[in-house]
Amino acid sequence: MKWLLFAVKNVLRNRRRSAVTVLIAAVGTAAILVGGGFAQFTYESLKEMAARESGHLVVAHLDHFDKDEEAPLQLGLAGHQTLRTRLMADPQVRAVLPRLQLSGLISNGDTSAIFVGSGVDAGGEFAVRGPFLSVTAGDVLDPRPGAGDVPEIMLGKDLARSLHAGPGSSLTLMATTTEGSLNAVDVRVKGIFSVGVPDIDKRIIMVHLGTAQRLLLTDKVSTLSVYLHETAATDAMRDRLRQALPDQAIRTWLDEAFFYQAVRQLYDRIFGLLGLVLVAMVLFAVSNTLGMAVLERTREIGTLRAMGTLPGQVVRNFALEGLVIGVAGALLGMLVAAATSLGLDAAGLQMPPPPGRSVGYPLHVDLPPVLFAVTAAVIVLSAVAAAWVVSRKAARTSIVEALAHV
Amino acid sequence: MIAAGAAPLLQLRGIARTYGQGETAVQALRGVDLDVAAGDFVALTGPSGSGKSTLLHLCGLIDSPDRGELRLEGLETGALSVQELTLLRRQKLGFVFQGFNLVPVLTARENVEYPLLLAGVPPRQRADRTARMLERVGLRQQADRRPDQLSGGQRQRVAIARALVTGPRLVLADEPTANLDGATATQVIDLMHELGRDHCATFIVATHDARMTSRCDRVVALTDGVLS
Repeated sequence: MKWLLFAVKNVLRNRRRSAVTVLIAAVGTAAILVGGGFAQFTYESLKEMAARESGHLVVAHLDHFDKDEEAPLQLGLAGHQTLRTRLMADPQVRAVLPRLQLSGLISNGDTSAIFVGSGVDAGGEFAVRGPFLSVTAGDVLDPRPGAGDVPEIMLGKDLARSLHAGPGSSLTLMATTTEGSLNAVDVRVKGIFSVGVPDIDKRIIMVHLGTAQRLLLTDKVSTLSVYLHETAATDAMRDRLRQALPDQAIRTWLDEAFFYQAVRQLYDRIFGLLGLVLVAMVLFAVSNTLGMAVLERTREIGTLRAMGTLPGQVVRNFALEGLVIGVAGALLGMLVAAATSLGLDAAGLQMPPPPGRSVGYPLHVDLPPVLFAVTAAVIVLSAVAAAWVVSRKAARTSIVEALAHV
Repeated sequence: MIAAGAAPLLQLRGIARTYGQGETAVQALRGVDLDVAAGDFVALTGPSGSGKSTLLHLCGLIDSPDRGELRLEGLETGALSVQELTLLRRQKLGFVFQGFNLVPVLTARENVEYPLLLAGVPPRQRADRTARMLERVGLRQQADRRPDQLSGGQRQRVAIARALVTGPRLVLADEPTANLDGATATQVIDLMHELGRDHCATFIVATHDARMTSRCDRVVALTDGVLS
């Protein structure tokens, strides 16, 4: 404790210089926290979006992910109701949703367009999608399939615009059946939605699973999406399902989340590099401050060494000064980062849409305790390391030379 | 003086020390032999450049001779490592410098306490010994003042207290009165004698001050690196 007090007194010896160094360490800490917190928020949002879109786990025909289909649903899942019931029996499973992927032509009588889309279980689908499905007009599909006289459809907003369709419009879906013939179904627009990606909004549709099966003349589905109570349980559940269902292919949300993986790789590099630059900045600032202190206190170091202070103890004393500066800077930086996070939330700022997307997202900084702990540790250790490096040589200088230093 | 048969506290034999190399080399000491007995108060005199400080540094184990043997309490110090020399200084030596060399951010009390902290003395003992020593040098009231809040004489008294607080066998003082006025210098000389006697410490003092030399048991004069 005495040594720490000694270090504090030495840090306060040149208050202005120490204050500037603490401020640099604080700016470094705050910048790492804000940048890291923003990346963390982006990762979590994309992760949630990906998991809500695909399900935590996707169960499909054994060859579904590796081979191309020569006819629709050639590699689909038969008997999915039995499988769904079996999966729902697991207490970790929150929902199991069948999906049928289909594509074809959609027409308003005058204009036709290509569509890709899904037949879904409306009762569960819109509950799990949450805020990641934006309904811009009308409503989502009725949870009771076949409630109306004409099957319902939801259109991507750009597809709706190209077909001049809105809620209540009548359209016709045409697609190749599983038997290779052409089939058509009349549908009525229930709602318009956007997934935030213009290229997808131009083509996407959603219909009840029954409507899609009737169009393709099948009772199969493409996949079963399994939703868990905890995302963290995904890998363990995948391993269990692979053992329990050897005749099915099992993939996790991460396998399907190409956008999430690309963003994460990009951000990891950008923020990793930024973090390195900031840590280097703190290293240089502390090295400079303590380097000057070492030079100014050369004679004092000689005196302490003459009195029986070991070289290692001289280095330790300077390392403690680095610790004091690092801890002060890290604490101040954490306060600044927390204030920045609260300020951004209060201001409600939005980020512009990322490339390939049409909607922005909130500028929010997530600050989990582990990010605080790791950042503070890196800053404090950098300051201690800088102090150790600059004082090592001085501690080993000849005592006579040090005492003669002017 | 050394009693017949008694081993000297400090024994120097054929000590030589040269600074620099080639044509610029300076021979600071040329084969010095010196015995210092326990309890002696030795003045080291000589003109500037005679080698006083070099000899003091060697006696204080903060420099090493190029040649010769230096024994402290019979222990040959030439083969000791940096760590061993440091611990030997901590346990057996004390230093008083011309410029006081107090740590400016520490109070008088903390400066005196520092060597005890190094020696690992428990806190309560440390506090007692520091208080006693400050009382002894007449600075009890000034214990919480920093060096810049003390006069030159008070600073040197703190330095003397710091040098003696661990009970060293040998105290090396380099021109301890050079920066003090006459009256203060006399007080410091008196104090060093009193404390040396009380603590059974041996003093080697490099000095030009006639008041100091007149009060020493022995005066050793150096001229051009040789004892005269």
